[in-house]
Amino acid sequence: MTETDADWSALMRAANGGDTRAYGRLLRLVTPVLRGIVRARGRAFSPEAQEDIVQDVLLAIHLKRHTWREDSPVKPWLYAIARYKVIDAFRARGQHVQVPIEDFAEVLPAEPQADPTERSDALKILGQLDPRSAELLKAVGLDGADAGETGRRLGMSEGAVRVALHRALKRLAELRERQVS
Amino acid sequence: MRTDDLIRALAADEVKPASVGARLALLPLALLMAGAVLLGIIGIRPDLGAALMAPITALKNLLPLALGLVALVLAVRMARPDATVPVAGLIAFPLVALALFAYGLSQMPMADWGRGVMGHSAAFCVPAIVLTALLPLVASMRAMRAGASTAPKRSGALTGLACGALSTAIYALHCNEDNPLFFVTWYGLAILIVSGIGAVLGRRLLRW
Repeated sequence: MTETDADWSALMRAANGGDTRAYGRLLRLVTPVLRGIVRARGRAFSPEAQEDIVQDVLLAIHLKRHTWREDSPVKPWLYAIARYKVIDAFRARGQHVQVPIEDFAEVLPAEPQADPTERSDALKILGQLDPRSAELLKAVGLDGADAGETGRRLGMSEGAVRVALHRALKRLAELRERQVS
Repeated sequence: MRTDDLIRALAADEVKPASVGARLALLPLALLMAGAVLLGIIGIRPDLGAALMAPITALKNLLPLALGLVALVLAVRMARPDATVPVAGLIAFPLVALALFAYGLSQMPMADWGRGVMGHSAAFCVPAIVLTALLPLVASMRAMRAGASTAPKRSGALTGLACGALSTAIYALHCNEDNPLFFVTWYGLAILIVSGIGAVLGRRLLRW
């Protein structure tokens, strides 16, 4: 087990215990690695499309995080999800891709090449969400507001914000799945 | 939406999704309901206790039950993306079934084999098992959707296998056909049909 493996597993355990900071940190650590994989495998795609795929993988990691068992290392789990979603995303975009099992360990982390705020599918899909969900995602994501603050802004209770945010993310994942397949 | 913003939104979401195991709590209920309807209509064989004393008849009841439980455990394990699931071990069940079938053949003159296979309730047995399996299949497929199988079709087939076999175990409480030629053939066919339905459903429903 490598050092990152232990670190990542510890972060994920903390995340599952309700430590949202640890969770955010883990996602930020994983993202450049994902980006490296997608870029290495998907040269045919525009930087925007590549970043969309990275986001698809992140959403999948998030929505399936309960399928990780705390007693197993987190990296193989993360990689299994990334592999499945990358193959899926490529297939949906009319490309076949081989993702070798050991890819995760070898890949070089990559920084985003483009800032896909303008032309990406992600933005279009955000527009298809119901207005409340979109507003919620913008408040929490773009403005970094917490549940309490978001609730005050949107006239919802903190608990309602939590549930609505979870629903919005699920809905977002479903829409993205449908959009590309 | 920039990736950083998405990550912020993801990190803010503290609602933990229910696990496959937790959601499977509905399966026993679905089995109970479907089984109660089936046995309520067609009844349990009156001589069940005595019949189970015969090893072949006991196997008729126990084999589908064991297959159903094993398949269910494997299906749950397969719902994790990083799991390796020893599905090949399932081959033991058809092997035992084949041995039973061969034994059945050895017990009858060749001229009677056809009658042995057909029994007196073949046309009823298969649809009854398949129908009984539907509600449990819906319940368990719903649960499996919480998982993240990287082989949705195979996961669906395994879920179908579990539901088909468990429903067969329920049906076997009614069925008084104790000839292996009969039950290996028709139970096997019914279980395969439900597995096939599971595979088709899995391909659609278990993608994520």
